[in-house]
Amino acid sequence: MSEDTEHTFEGSGSELRAMTMELDELHHDMGMPAMNGALSQMRGTSRRTFLMGAGAAVTGGAVLAVVGSGTLPALAGASTRRLSAADAAFPPPGLKGDLAVAAVAVSLENLAVFAYAAGLAAATAGKLGTVPPAVATFATTVKAQHQQHADAWNAVLKSNGKAPVTVTNPTLTPTVQADFAQVTDVTGLAQLAITLETIAAQTYQAETTMLESSAAIELSSSIQPVEMQHIAILYYVLGMYPGAQTSSGTPLAFNPTSMAV
Amino acid sequence: MTGDSRALAELLEESQDLQADALRPTRDALDELVETGHARRDDDPEVSRAFHEEHTRALTASLSGAALLGAAGGAVLVGALASAASASSPSDVQILQTAASIENLAVATYKTALTLPYIGGSSANPVVTKFAQVTMGQHAQHADAFNAAAKSLGGKAQTKPDPAFVPVVNKAVASLGSASATQGALGVVGLAMELENIAAETYVKDTVLAKKASNKALFASVMGIEAQHVSVLLAVQALLKAGAPQLISLSPGTAASLPAAAGSLGFPNAFYKTNSAAPAAQGAVK
Repeated sequence: MSEDTEHTFEGSGSELRAMTMELDELHHDMGMPAMNGALSQMRGTSRRTFLMGAGAAVTGGAVLAVVGSGTLPALAGASTRRLSAADAAFPPPGLKGDLAVAAVAVSLENLAVFAYAAGLAAATAGKLGTVPPAVATFATTVKAQHQQHADAWNAVLKSNGKAPVTVTNPTLTPTVQADFAQVTDVTGLAQLAITLETIAAQTYQAETTMLESSAAIELSSSIQPVEMQHIAILYYVLGMYPGAQTSSGTPLAFNPTSMAV
Repeated sequence: MTGDSRALAELLEESQDLQADALRPTRDALDELVETGHARRDDDPEVSRAFHEEHTRALTASLSGAALLGAAGGAVLVGALASAASASSPSDVQILQTAASIENLAVATYKTALTLPYIGGSSANPVVTKFAQVTMGQHAQHADAFNAAAKSLGGKAQTKPDPAFVPVVNKAVASLGSASATQGALGVVGLAMELENIAAETYVKDTVLAKKASNKALFASVMGIEAQHVSVLLAVQALLKAGAPQLISLSPGTAASLPAAAGSLGFPNAFYKTNSAAPAAQGAVK
C-alpha cells in the first residue's frame, strides 16, 4: 500500500489530529518533485496563448485582490486594491504559451487562497454561524494546498525570469467577491468553494491537451486530482453525493470541462 | 440512513439513465481519435521500455510492502480474474489497454465486494453500498471508453484485469471470509482505495505519456474521478477505524459531528503522486 494511504487509527481524536499535523510536512515533501521538474523543463517559448482569450480578458477598474506566498489574505475589503486598467493587463504581456497558462493558474490559486482566507476570517468573526470543526480544518488545509499550487506555478515563472503573479484572477474576482458578500453560513461558503474548486479542476483538466511542455502537463495533472478531492469532501459536507455530478446531483463518470476558464 | 439510501438509489438510477450523457465527452474524444488515430504510429518502444522499468520498480516496492487488508476471511475473485492480461503494442494503445485492465479489475473487485454482507447486504452501511454500486458502474464506463479509444487506434479491447494486481487482489479477498463486519468492511475499503489510487496515479502519468491529445483528454477526465473515489474511501476508512460508522452518512447535519481532523483526511497531498502508477504496458493485450 502506498505510504500516503496507510494509516492506522487507535482512536478518533488523537490519531486524527496527529495525521492532520503530518499533512503540512507531506505537502512540502510531495510538492517539490513536481515543481522541481517543472522548474527545470518549462520554458516560455510556446506561441500558444491558452487562457488569454475572453475568459481572461480584464476590464478597466476590475478589483484584484493582491496576495502572495506567506501572506494571509483577509476579507475582501481589507486585502484588495483597485487597479487601473493599465495595471490590469492579464496575463502580463511578456508571458506567452505555457508561461501565460502558469500565470492564469496562479491567479486561480490566489483566488482560492483569498476565498478560503476570507471564509476563515468570517467564521472567526462569527459571521457564518456555527462552523463545524471539520469544516474549519478543511478550509485551513485546503487554503495551504492552494498556496502551494500557486507557489509551484510562480516558481516556474521565476525560473524563466518572469515576475510572480500575486493577483487573483481578474475575470472571476468581482463575481467571487459579490458572491462571498452574500454568504451567511457554512453551506453558502461550501457552495462557493465548490464553484471555485470546479473551475480550477476543470481548467487544469483542459490544460492537459493545451500545454506544450511535458513538465507543465505533469504539474497541472498533479494538481487537478487534488482539486477534485477538495470537491468530493465539500459535497460530503453538504450531504450530497461526494463526487463529480450534474447540476441535479447525478454522479458523473467523466469530469467535464465546461467550467474551465 | 434511510434517507441516504433512497436518495442514493435515485442517484444511481439517474446515473444509469444518464450514462450516455456522461459518455458524451468521451465520444467526442473518440470521434477525434477516429480522425487522427491512424495519422501517427510513432510510438517509441524505447520510451515505453524505460517507463516500464522505472515504474515496475516503484510499483513492486509499493505492492510488495502492502498489507492491503488487515482483515481475515473472504471470497475469491474468479472468472474475470482467472486469466490476466499481459503486454505489448504501441504506446498509446498500450496505455489505454493497461488502463482498461485496471478498470476491469476494479469492476470485478467491487462486484465481489457487493456480494459480501457488510458491503452489499442487509448489514451494510447503505452509503457504502451505493457508493460501491455507483463506483463500479463508473469503472465499467471507464473501461468501455479506454477500450473504444484503443480500438479506434487499431488495437484490441482489453477485457482482462491487470495481471500484476490480480494475485494481490485475490489474496486480499480470500482473506475476508471469517472477518467481522467492521474488519471486513475495512479490508474491502483498503483494497478498493489501493486500486483507486493506482488508477488515479496511472492516469495522471498517462496525461503526459499519451501522444494523442484526445487520449490525454480522456485520461484527464477520469483521473480526478478516481482521486475522488480515493478521498471518499479515505474518509470512510478513517470513520470506520475511529469507531464512528454512523458518521458515514449523507445527512446534511453529519458535518457538525465530524471530528476536526476529518476535514483534511481526504486529500493527504497537495500534489498527486505517480509513484504507484502502473507501467504503461503492464495490462496491454498480448
